[in-house]
Amino acid sequence: MTNSISEIEEAGCIFVIGSNTTACHPLIARRIIRGKEKGAKLIVADPRNIHLARFADVAVRHRLGSDVALLNGMMRIIIHNDWHAKHYIMERTEEFEEFCRVVETYPPEKVENITGVHPRDLERMAELYATNPPGSLLYAMGITQHTTGVDNVKSCCNLAMLCGYVGIRGGGVNPLRGQNNVQGACDMGGLPNVLPGYQPVGDPEVNNRFSTAWGRKIPDRPGLTITDMVPAMLDGKLKALYVIGENPKLSDPDWNHFHHALKNLDLLIVQDLFLSETAQVAHVVFPAASAAEKDGTFTNSERRCMRINKAIEPLGDSLPDWEIICRFSKAIGYDMTYDSPEEIFREMAALTPKLYGGMTYGRLGIEGLMWPCPDNDHPGTQYLHKDGFARGKGKFHSIHYRPPAESPDDEFPYFLTTGRMFAHFHTGTMTRISPHLDVQQPKGYVDINPKDAEALGVKESDVLLISSRRGEMEVPARLTTSVEPGVVFMPIHFGESPTNILTNADAFDPLAKIPEFKVSSVKIKKL
Amino acid sequence: MKDQIKQWLQQGKVDIFLGYKMVEGHPLPHFFVKDRLYEVDELVTGPIRYPLEKLAIRLAAEDPEVKIGLLVRDCNRRALNVLFLWHQLNPDNVMSIPVNCCPSNLADQANCSLLKPEKAGPYKEMVGIDNNISIEEAKGFDQEERLRRWTYEFDKCIKCYGCRDACPVCFCKECSLEHHALVKTGDLPVDIPIFHLVRAVHMAGRCIDCGLCEEACPMDIPLRLLYKMVNQIVLNVFKYNPGIDSVQSPFNMLGDEVTLEPKGLNAA
Amino acid sequence: MNGKIVPSVCSYCGTGCGVLFQVVNGKLVGTMPLKTHPVNEGKLCIKGWHLHEYVNSPTRLRSPLIKMNGRFRQATWDKALHFASDRLKAIIEKYGPDSVGVLVSAKITNEENYLAQKFARAAIGTNNVDHCARL
Repeated sequence: MTNSISEIEEAGCIFVIGSNTTACHPLIARRIIRGKEKGAKLIVADPRNIHLARFADVAVRHRLGSDVALLNGMMRIIIHNDWHAKHYIMERTEEFEEFCRVVETYPPEKVENITGVHPRDLERMAELYATNPPGSLLYAMGITQHTTGVDNVKSCCNLAMLCGYVGIRGGGVNPLRGQNNVQGACDMGGLPNVLPGYQPVGDPEVNNRFSTAWGRKIPDRPGLTITDMVPAMLDGKLKALYVIGENPKLSDPDWNHFHHALKNLDLLIVQDLFLSETAQVAHVVFPAASAAEKDGTFTNSERRCMRINKAIEPLGDSLPDWEIICRFSKAIGYDMTYDSPEEIFREMAALTPKLYGGMTYGRLGIEGLMWPCPDNDHPGTQYLHKDGFARGKGKFHSIHYRPPAESPDDEFPYFLTTGRMFAHFHTGTMTRISPHLDVQQPKGYVDINPKDAEALGVKESDVLLISSRRGEMEVPARLTTSVEPGVVFMPIHFGESPTNILTNADAFDPLAKIPEFKVSSVKIKKL
Repeated sequence: MKDQIKQWLQQGKVDIFLGYKMVEGHPLPHFFVKDRLYEVDELVTGPIRYPLEKLAIRLAAEDPEVKIGLLVRDCNRRALNVLFLWHQLNPDNVMSIPVNCCPSNLADQANCSLLKPEKAGPYKEMVGIDNNISIEEAKGFDQEERLRRWTYEFDKCIKCYGCRDACPVCFCKECSLEHHALVKTGDLPVDIPIFHLVRAVHMAGRCIDCGLCEEACPMDIPLRLLYKMVNQIVLNVFKYNPGIDSVQSPFNMLGDEVTLEPKGLNAA
Repeated sequence: MNGKIVPSVCSYCGTGCGVLFQVVNGKLVGTMPLKTHPVNEGKLCIKGWHLHEYVNSPTRLRSPLIKMNGRFRQATWDKALHFASDRLKAIIEKYGPDSVGVLVSAKITNEENYLAQKFARAAIGTNNVDHCARL
């Protein structure tokens, strides 16, 4: 997030796209509703009729995968009405003219054809967002999990820059992170091309600095992303995989495909709290301690680094992940010895001076600090790009709409989209064993519009056979108008109804390598 | 006060004392014990509230014989009274130290000085219910508008169950709000208005008007007002004021003899 | 009897709500929202309120496991680490460090993520490091 969570309440307009916020980020939904109650306008764009839409000044259900067209259409209206921030654009951005030429080719009628959104609603969205500053734009996986994920994100940035909403209090482009420490995992260099603090592995100065600090030469060529690792496993190029605290077997697109890839490994080591679907096919499993059983820090969506504290002893023989990694490293001949997570944090902060350099456990306290925090007197940064963009001038990206990889056809006539429901989390390993959460929804389901259900002769709880080009699965139906006719929705939490048997592993964003979980086409048969 | 607590801990009159301590600038509930007597010097009484008696129930669940001391504001006192009546805590094992919080002449209406909901924003004022209004004002809306406004508030619910989980007098092992036959589970928004009305009914003769539910509500639903309205009915019909009257509630546990007999208007 | 209240951060979504863990006799018995926390201001969602439940689950792994003849057997740390490191070293020797991949986690701490990628880059010698943020 460029801006902080509490600032959402200060926005003049809140635009939520591709985020079922009340279910997936409930305490951010609180800020949206409070902002609305204090007088902000609320725009909701989501292919499903989500809870938050009830409170919107304008809510649209655009067709799955049509985000770029929708946003381009909004921006064309803003420019035509002269609502854009001309001074800001001149001072702080570049490549505006070329961008205008592209956006110009998205008149409301064309946008309606692609998105299904009526020109009147599109006009209203554009007007509300552009004329009620500051505008806060929020999105989640509904924007990113597409073959056009990067295009979608760039279009969101275009819109915010067009109105001058980046680098101001209460505005911003605010991606909501799905997991407690996604931000931290990225910040810490859990990516194939960058070291901690987004410092490129290929940069000689950076590479040298880390190689010296770690006493080993670090390879300077970027490695494989998870999306690239799967074919490498199938080709026999990747022989061993060490999986820490993840359940990729259930979260990866195309479960069958991934299952074969894992089976092809000579060595699969899984480190987890539970015997997850992935751990079950491992050669060795290391039992990890939970977050309540260790010290450390998490960095949330708003870049706030906060301490967690050990409350109880690790269960059984389990150990905190940091201790396991140290022991394992020693066992393969590279000594890593630390007294405490605080000592690790100090080493990390020294090597990541721009973002974490000014943070210490003592300074973090309970509230934490928001990066960038470059030195010991720095109060942390509530919102980014205040006095200019990190890269110099903000670049307008000229982006054309591209349809999703799969669209319904005669054989597979329904859109399938996936996501979370309010009581469960990700692959369900943590929530399904929690009695109060399990009671809310003990098993998988598919949401289907009552009109489609009627046409198929389907009643509530009837078991349906859902099939795609990848595979098929049986799952009980839930009749709801939260999905449009022609669209079905399945939650991703349930291992016995693994949604990703159906989703498309071959379709992913070429740059970000994010699979297109949000769009695939399926057929439905009543059993 | 601190000397008193130290004395109790030293003499074994209490095994654990529940109060607050500042931790890195934040007042957090704290368990004071004999082994770390020096910590008592760091005890603070506020400025915020946590359901200390709920913590006490958890301690007692672990060891029914444990002797517990705690700081009590007027609301904590009322909560304790209810918990004693419903046999969730043993009064012989609980020692309390009063904390002056509510102006005494208002104690009957339980207007806690800590409960100052912020002024409702313009949209909430227009379509919802201002958390500051009185029962009379809430009843001032005509029936249709009242329904519309309450529906708006219930519609916001994200089903966190915080109202239940923060409630000092919610202690049932099985909760009706998780019962599939009573309340639709598995989706948002909640079953309106059943979800909130089921909880409101369960608060009848139980709610001690501490306001912790409303403090815990992510969506600022005026829960305190809702339960107050329910308990006004209880007061009118049964002349029973939970937590203040130290007699058995007119609502009994399942299996107990049911004595739902309205008292006459002139009854004491 | 002993007990304590420990401030921490919720480990579900990326909002980062402040929580208080309640510990009685070394057992985690409850979760409460941290009232003065800047992110959640004393409120939580259904997952946060029940954060302690997954920690206490009987399905948690309690010892290292090694698969032999298709079945898992409990092992000591020494044995499990020995088994894994012997095989890993052999693979690195035979196929080179880039034949190994490490998936770090959006669920573990910053310190652990830092160590995991250091392990991949310095101990193994590969940049094949990624995590499931894409998924």
